[in-house]
Amino acid sequence: MNSLLALQAFSPDINFAIILPELILSVVGALVMLIDAFTTRADTGRGRWITGSVSLLGLGAAAAACVWLWVGSTNETQGTFGGMIVLDRMRLSFTFVFLIVSALTILISMVWVEWENLPGGEFHALLLFATVGMMLMASGGDLVIIFLGLELLSIATYVLAGFRRTDLRSNESSLKYFILGSFSSAFLLYGIALVYGATTQAVNVAGRTDFIAGTTNIREIAARLDTALYPPLLFAGAAMMLVGFGFKIATAPFHVWTPDVYEGAPTPVTAFMAAGPKAAGFAAFMRVFLIGFPFVTATSLTLTSSQAHAAWLNTLYILAILTMTIGNVAALVQSNVKRMLAYSSIAHAGYALVGFIAAGATDDAAQRNDAVAAVVFYLLAYSVMNLGAFAIVTLVARSGDRRTEIEDYTGIGFRAPALSFALSIFLLSLIGVPLTAGFMGKIMVFRSALNLREPYYGLVVIGVLNSAVSVYYYLRLIVVMFFRERTTEWNAPRVPASIAVALLLTIIGVFYLGVFPGQVLDAFQSEQPAAVNSVAGR
Amino acid sequence: MVPLSWYLILSAVLFTIGAAGVLLKRNAISMFMCIELMLNAVNLTFVAFSSYFRDVTGQLFVFIVMTVAAAEAAVGLGIIIAIFRNRESLDVDEASVLKF
Repeated sequence: MNSLLALQAFSPDINFAIILPELILSVVGALVMLIDAFTTRADTGRGRWITGSVSLLGLGAAAAACVWLWVGSTNETQGTFGGMIVLDRMRLSFTFVFLIVSALTILISMVWVEWENLPGGEFHALLLFATVGMMLMASGGDLVIIFLGLELLSIATYVLAGFRRTDLRSNESSLKYFILGSFSSAFLLYGIALVYGATTQAVNVAGRTDFIAGTTNIREIAARLDTALYPPLLFAGAAMMLVGFGFKIATAPFHVWTPDVYEGAPTPVTAFMAAGPKAAGFAAFMRVFLIGFPFVTATSLTLTSSQAHAAWLNTLYILAILTMTIGNVAALVQSNVKRMLAYSSIAHAGYALVGFIAAGATDDAAQRNDAVAAVVFYLLAYSVMNLGAFAIVTLVARSGDRRTEIEDYTGIGFRAPALSFALSIFLLSLIGVPLTAGFMGKIMVFRSALNLREPYYGLVVIGVLNSAVSVYYYLRLIVVMFFRERTTEWNAPRVPASIAVALLLTIIGVFYLGVFPGQVLDAFQSEQPAAVNSVAGR
Repeated sequence: MVPLSWYLILSAVLFTIGAAGVLLKRNAISMFMCIELMLNAVNLTFVAFSSYFRDVTGQLFVFIVMTVAAAEAAVGLGIIIAIFRNRESLDVDEASVLKF
């Protein structure tokens, strides 16, 4: 044991290639900060374009590194840095979603920072660091990395939410996000501490009881569940982590911060928050619970591992139902578009949870991979249509986010037909109309819940009913745009080139994912994370 | 030697006080201090396990948590100053431009 440790100290298990995308983005983020620092005040206008383009190039380079990893990786899950970082399809596919979200946010915000006269370099640098945080959350094989990634993401996002410093709404949004975000991080952290302590093992060495201290490695946790020294602490710890992640992805009892924060934050930042950090929360949540507390094919329910698995699965079942229902019902009565989309994002997290539950409820590796790929696909589809919708909300809101009420959309349908049609496409996709990304995403997620040996009929029925409820509030916006007469003066906003590109990409994305989902789904499919089988086989 | 459970109970009590404080306090700075209390309660848990079972992982985790808490403090106080400049009050009940 000691010699092994010494060996590790001299030749640590370091493989920089495996974190290349994260490294590239960190370096580019620092570079963007430097460019910003050396830009003179007279040059800020050009500086914004330079930092924006450099950030986009950096994201492209990271995506290229990601493709390189994708092609080079075997389907096996590889670990490095002593199991701190893992490389598997789940990580890579989530990383792609993050990169797309980040790139679209930069395109949407490129002109917005100019309108608002905000420091563009800082904005882009923070966005890149938040993206690195999200990527670390997806790639962490150890709770330390997941916590670090989460904080990197959260701290950058707190600042982004309060980016319009002189606007009281932005301040308030940032303060609320900060207080509740750190509150939930503390819960997550307490959960980690308890699990670390609980997974201590007692061993007999020459008649004397000796202890092997606990672990924060996710795979190692799975292997030690049944021999854990303090099972009650293990349950408490898992529950605390569930609460912490529940806050981050805004599931129902922990969603109260979402509408306020999303409404008050600057619109491009809201677009980012609804898509990116939510997907990152799902990435970490799924890794910790699917691999750390895996399905156990045990005959007896007395084993700690199978009890823990049943406990989190049942909790998530209730959370998913609550999340879908509360999100959709509350969205019905909103009069502010951003707030409505915030509740809709809560509801969409509920649909994605259905896929997560399906992934947790099966011992069959192929089915689990299907379900995980379905969740990632859903989050990708949601990100694309959500960012598209928010791009238009940004345009209509004008500087200072002044026009975000549903009334402000009255009768704009024929004055700005292109924009209104684009927004209608995104809203229809959010409803889940066939041929759009939203439809395919829902089909995939619900199918994974029905393919199980014991299908979740109830959950899927509630999901479908909720989609029906959601038709009302999405269609209301379309009706307001096209079938109401506008009495007040309104000029169609000029569509800047960068937003036009973003809209074009998102519309193509909505239809591509809706009509040809197969390629993306196949790419997201991983062959196996082995932890489940090794535990079940013992 | 003080038994492990005492440390765990102490840190659970501290964590609960912190959580209750966040929910009950009405001043942004006090809420922020309560969050710090929660983080330090977690640190105590880590250190207790770490020293009891002679393992460094927990102590390393504490270092990371302390660093993160410092970064969070910098950003959090910045946000609080920004909101104070605009409104001259730190009472969160008055932060109600956005509400249901």
